[in-house]
Amino acid sequence: MSTEDHALQDESPQVPVQRTAEPELPAASADPALLEVEDLKVHFPIRRGVVVERTVGHVRAVDGVSLQVAQGGTYGLVGESGCGKTTFGRAVLRLEEPTGGRVRLGDDEVTSLKGERLRKFRSRMQMVFQDPLGSLNPRHNVDMLLSEPLKVHGVGSKEERRKLAVETLDAVGLPKTVLERFPHEFSGGQRQRLGIARALMLRPDLIVCDEPVSALDVSIQAQVMNLLDELQGEFGLTYLVIAHDLAVVRHLSDRVGVMYLGKLVEEADSESIYEHPRHPYTKALLSAVPQPDPEKEATRERIILKGDLPSPANPPSGCRFRTRCPWAQDICAEQEPEWREAASGHKVACHFDL
Amino acid sequence: MALLEVEDLRVAFGASTAVDGVSFAVEQGKIVGLVGESGCGKSVTSLAVMGLLPRGRAAKGRKGDQPVQAAAEEVAGGSVKAAVAAPQAVPAGGGRRRGGGADVSGRAVFDGTDLLSLPPAAMRRRRGKDLAMVFQDPLSSLNPVVPIGRQITEVLERHRGLKGDKANKEAASLLDRVGIPDPVRRLKEYPHQLSGGMRQRVLIAIAVACAPRLLIADEPTTALDVTIQAQILELLKDLVDHEGTALLMITHDLGVVAGMCDEVNVLYSGRVVESAPVRELFARPTHPYTVGLLGSIPRLDLPLHEPLTPIRGSIADVIRWKDGCAFAPRCDRVADACVAGEPALVGSAHAHRCVMAEEVA
Repeated sequence: MSTEDHALQDESPQVPVQRTAEPELPAASADPALLEVEDLKVHFPIRRGVVVERTVGHVRAVDGVSLQVAQGGTYGLVGESGCGKTTFGRAVLRLEEPTGGRVRLGDDEVTSLKGERLRKFRSRMQMVFQDPLGSLNPRHNVDMLLSEPLKVHGVGSKEERRKLAVETLDAVGLPKTVLERFPHEFSGGQRQRLGIARALMLRPDLIVCDEPVSALDVSIQAQVMNLLDELQGEFGLTYLVIAHDLAVVRHLSDRVGVMYLGKLVEEADSESIYEHPRHPYTKALLSAVPQPDPEKEATRERIILKGDLPSPANPPSGCRFRTRCPWAQDICAEQEPEWREAASGHKVACHFDL
Repeated sequence: MALLEVEDLRVAFGASTAVDGVSFAVEQGKIVGLVGESGCGKSVTSLAVMGLLPRGRAAKGRKGDQPVQAAAEEVAGGSVKAAVAAPQAVPAGGGRRRGGGADVSGRAVFDGTDLLSLPPAAMRRRRGKDLAMVFQDPLSSLNPVVPIGRQITEVLERHRGLKGDKANKEAASLLDRVGIPDPVRRLKEYPHQLSGGMRQRVLIAIAVACAPRLLIADEPTTALDVTIQAQILELLKDLVDHEGTALLMITHDLGVVAGMCDEVNVLYSGRVVESAPVRELFARPTHPYTVGLLGSIPRLDLPLHEPLTPIRGSIADVIRWKDGCAFAPRCDRVADACVAGEPALVGSAHAHRCVMAEEVA
């Protein structure tokens, strides 16, 4: 097993994939956004009662998020568990029914699509899930797993589908000998490659990657991140990357949004958000990441946030972050801060300039 | 002498060896890290020290030929400490056998006593009192149908003989110490009513209830968000600084290691491949696996889009240590010498197990 496995995973680490150096375009002005989300809301009703169910409130998982992802770009959505980032990604793909707002992909309004047209449209947007074992049918071999999306959308003959599967496997660094194998025969990193291959089969425009590397070991994470980078160039993909790991998001994205309790609190190019975070939450998040350097760790300034995330069913008044914010003032409880452009291309929702 | 000295620990489950001769020491008031990826044997090492592995044929082995053979292998392995490791006495109740258990050999000397040779009852008296453990997943390590207060007083009752109000009071003060607000009310709550960070605090409260001299934390923050992780790490550091507890920190996160540990042992395929004081390790990583790990992590403190240099292959690409370096199939520096027999751990303060290290350095 080991020799085959070895050949199967052999990619040359000596040649790290260099991100194609694009000239820095002013965001969202020069090139049109492929994905445009406007004031997206997803509220889940909280129901009580056994015989007669009544709705006693709503969990505002996503509560008015607007963002744009440029064609060929990568948008990183980062936040802690419970902030609504996964729900947002699912609502963009219509895997979750939005309560309000609009999603546009290219020239099509995703939120108004219905029935057969929606089903057909799904081939243009795909998803890579966090847990590759849980998202691959254990009783399907790789051939079946990869051809299924094509069958569903009626693409090609059996031979053509198989040829496309082999091509896609090659693109994600797996040999065609794995076609007859089943998901349990692969390691975690290989399974994630399969997950990515499956998302690629229909050659979509947009791929939503929900925690694409967080289930993987450190050395494998790097392989998969480099692969995502490579594929973006090869297939002209646009990514929406959802993750909790700030370093992963920084590495993959050119634009980053920070979410807290269902809303964006800050958005900027990845360079400026990490160099000059403007929202207290972003500052705290960044300061909380331990860095693999003992010298820097000894002097790292930490902003330790008190307490846990408040309930999204009953968010705090005014600024949602105020209950944990070290700089909170009276105004923060009274008024919700507006979503404003603090610097060119750098948006923040905070009353103060920090 | 260090508080805990693990010498040539070996753990096998049937034919597969999880830990293959691991030695390290933890001193009073110090934090020692065991670092590695899944499958490297770091958790099994901690479970073996705590006596939490299902016992297998080890007891039988101790009676007969295994210690002799193990000692012979130790000498071959070139470990100085190992050469003096004598075959242990047979524990009184050592004849117990159960299928599918772990074969544990080697020594884990805690304060002069070899924990591995203690009979289960004696180990139970120490576990939770002298040495305690914090696990990765607080939800599955807490009993879901028992209020957390009771889960804390259980330890106090057993090891410190506290009962009733006294125990409750102590439990509340423990919760207060680990930073849980309104502790008296929380005592009556069940694990599901607490957040992940709170649950991990409760686990730490249980672990420190009897002021153990050694705390083993197995990925204590992996399941938590970064802001909560920062809180928990701060708490653990505080315990070490103020109580002089020794902490064995098991993690895959090199960032956590850099900020917390005094000494680091990097494990690969059941063996220590590099061991050094923390600053030394990060300043001069010597084993290609350590170098590879450091090159694999995206970092916030380096320029944007710095390319990653992953380690190729996966942990399934492995050869047995006695045939050569287990990391050789994934290593960029691999040479004939790497597969020409067992590589020894060389050096004392900064030890590494790489035959090519000198040539490269």
